Amino acid sequence: MNTQSPDMKAAAKGIALRDMNKYYGSFHALKDLSLEVAPGEFLVLLGPSGCGKSTALRMIAGLESISSGTLMIGEQDVTEVLPKYRDIAMVFQSYALYPHKTVGENIGFPLKVAKMPKPEMDAAIRAAAEQVELEELLERLPGQLSGGQRQRVALARAIVRRPSVFLMDEPLSNLDAKLRGNMRAELKHMQNELGITTIYVTHDQIEAMTLAHRVAIMKDGELQQLGSPKEVYSDPANLFVAGFMGSPPMNFVEGALRDGLFAAAGVSLGAEGYGDCAQVTLGFRPEDCSVVGAGEGQLDAQVFTLEMTGDQTLVTFRAGNRPLVVKMPKDFEVAADSTAGIGFDADSACFFDSSTGLRLRKSG
Amino acid sequence: MSRGLFEPRKIGEMAPASRLALYTVLIAWSLFVIFPIYWLLITSFKTPAAVNNGPFFLPWVDFQPSLHAWRDLFVVDFADTIRAYMNSIIIALSSTALSVLVGSMAAYSLSRIEFAPNLITILYFVALLIGSCVAIGVFGADLWLTLAVAVALFFLLARAVGRLYTVRLQNGDILFWIISQRILAPIVVVVPIYMMFQSVRLLDTHIALILTYAVVNMPIVVWLMFDFFNSIPRDLEESAQLDGATMIMTFREIVLPLSRAGLSATTLLVMIFAWNEYLLALFISTSRAQTMPILVAAMNAGERGILWWTMSVAIIVMIIPVVVLAVVLQKYISKGLLVGAVKG
Repeated sequence: MNTQSPDMKAAAKGIALRDMNKYYGSFHALKDLSLEVAPGEFLVLLGPSGCGKSTALRMIAGLESISSGTLMIGEQDVTEVLPKYRDIAMVFQSYALYPHKTVGENIGFPLKVAKMPKPEMDAAIRAAAEQVELEELLERLPGQLSGGQRQRVALARAIVRRPSVFLMDEPLSNLDAKLRGNMRAELKHMQNELGITTIYVTHDQIEAMTLAHRVAIMKDGELQQLGSPKEVYSDPANLFVAGFMGSPPMNFVEGALRDGLFAAAGVSLGAEGYGDCAQVTLGFRPEDCSVVGAGEGQLDAQVFTLEMTGDQTLVTFRAGNRPLVVKMPKDFEVAADSTAGIGFDADSACFFDSSTGLRLRKSG
Repeated sequence: MSRGLFEPRKIGEMAPASRLALYTVLIAWSLFVIFPIYWLLITSFKTPAAVNNGPFFLPWVDFQPSLHAWRDLFVVDFADTIRAYMNSIIIALSSTALSVLVGSMAAYSLSRIEFAPNLITILYFVALLIGSCVAIGVFGADLWLTLAVAVALFFLLARAVGRLYTVRLQNGDILFWIISQRILAPIVVVVPIYMMFQSVRLLDTHIALILTYAVVNMPIVVWLMFDFFNSIPRDLEESAQLDGATMIMTFREIVLPLSRAGLSATTLLVMIFAWNEYLLALFISTSRAQTMPILVAAMNAGERGILWWTMSVAIIVMIIPVVVLAVVLQKYISKGLLVGAVKG
C-alpha cells in the first residue's frame, strides 16, 4: 500500500460522502451529510462544538463506523474498509505523539509499519523533518519539546509517507495565538506544495476563512452551507451561517416585510422584489454600514460603547436588547450615550425568514 | 539578628530543629523495621542452647555463632527444603505469569470495548448451569442428554426472553463483579476448592496451586491494570491504526511500552501474594507440592518443640527472591512515562 518512494508526489484523490449518517443509540449525530471534495482541495469543516464535524472526520478516517451512506476515496468505496487501508494520515488535536519514542522514531513510525528499508526510511524522516524545521531535534523525546514543536512532529509524521488524504482535527487549537498564526500560514503553504487533498476540522472561523478552498458549515449534525470562504461570508444561506461567520458577526434587526417595505421599530427600508412575510430578520455586516448623524441613516440608536482595536474603531449601539456593531476608521469619534444614525446600502443587506432561518431571495 | 531554631536558613531548606526531629523519627522507624530482620539473621546462627538461654543480641559477644541450623536445613533435610523452595518458585512464577497475562488482557478489553450483556441472559445461563449440575449430580441424569437440553433451552430463552427484558449491564458492572470475587474471604471457598480438586484427582499438584492462585489474584490484576490502561490516551492507538499498524503491532509498539510501569508493579504485588500464601496451600498441598510457608509453619508443630533456629534460616532464604524481584522491577515503576503524549 505505502511502498511509493517518499519524494514521489502521491496522486491526490478526491473524497465523496453520500448521505452519511451516524447514530449513537437514539442520538442522531450526523444527518445525511453529502460532500464532494476535489483532488488536492483544502476543505474546512466549520461549526460550533458538538455540531458533528469531528464525528464526520473520524468516520472518514475509519475510527467511527458509518451508520448509513457511502464514503468514496478516489474510485474506491471505503465505507467498510479498515482505517489502515484507506491511505489516510491524520493530525489529532492532542497530536498523539508516542511518548516513549524519539522525534525521529515518531516521524518514521508509519514507514516502519510499512517495512521500509532502513536507509530509505532515514532519508524520508530527514526530508520530512526538514520540511517542518525539526532536523535538530530528531533525538529528543516528545516530553522535551514545546507545544509548537510537538505540532510540527505530528505534521511531519503525517506527511512522511505521502498519503492520498490528510485529515486534521483542530490541529492548531492548543497553540498560543501568535504561533497559531504562523502555523496557519505554514500549513497552507505546505498543503499547496504537496497538493494532498485535505479535510480540516475547526471551530475557528478565521482559520476556516484563511485556509480553505471551500468551507462546509455545520450545525447539529446538518450541513448548513458549502462554498468558498467568500461565498459563505458575503452570501450566507441562512441566519445561522450569517451569525457564525465574521468577527464581529452580522447585525440583526427583527421586523416584517409588507408591500416591498421592511418595517421594524424605528426602521423603514425599501425592499423591492421580496414577498410578504410577517417575521423577518434584516442582517447587515458591521463593515457595510457607517455611523451618520441622527435621522440621516436607516435607523437611529443609542451609542453604547466605542472600542479601539488598533486598525479600526468598533461602535456598539443598543437597539432594544440587541447590540448593533459598526466598523469605523480608527480615528472615528462619537460621544457615548448620544443618539446617532446607522446608514447602510440596502443592496448589501440580507433578509431571513425568522421562523425557518432561511434566506429570503428576490424573486425575479 | 537572631534566627529561631524553627526558621529555615535558606529557601528550600529545612529548619535545623525540624531536620533534627525528622531524622530522629526516621532513624527510630528504621530501627523498628530492621530489628526483626536482624533478629532473624542472628537467630539463624544460634545453637538451640543459645536461643533457649537468651535473649542474646550480639554475636561473638553474647553468644558464639554456629552453622548448626543451616546444616540442619541444607545438609540433613536438603531434599525437603529444596523441594519446597522449588515448589514455591514454580508456583509463584507460573501463577503470576498466568494471572498477569489473562488479567491484563481482560483489563485492556474492559477499558477499550463497550460491553452490554443482557442481565436476563446471564441469570438464566446461571440457572441452567445449576439445574444441569443438580440433574446430573443428584438425579443421575445422562451427562450429554442434560447438556443438549440445557443448550437448546438456552437458545430458546435467548430468542424469547432476551427480547422482552433488555436490562443491560455495563463495563462498570463487569469490573465490580470481578473485584467482588476478591472481596470474598478465601476461607469461604476453601472446602469447595478442596473437593473440586479432589474429584479431578489434582490435589497436591503444582497445577492445582497455580490455577487457584491465578484465579485468586486475577481480580487484583484486572483492577490495577484497568486504571492503568485507561490512563493511556486512545488517540495514540487510533493514530497507530491510521499509520497502518495492526492490532498486535499497536499493542506491542505502543500499549506495552507505555504500560510497563503498571505491569511491573502489578507483577510484583501478585508475586508476593502468591509467594506468601498459606491458607490455600495448607488445604491443597500435603507433601509433594508443599510450599515454603507450609514448611516454615511446620517447624513450630514438631515433637521437638518450636525450632526457632531452622525457622529463621527458612524465612531468610524465603525473603531473598522477593527482595531481588523488587530491586529488578523497581526501575520500571517510575512515573512520568506519559509526558509529551498529548497536548502542551
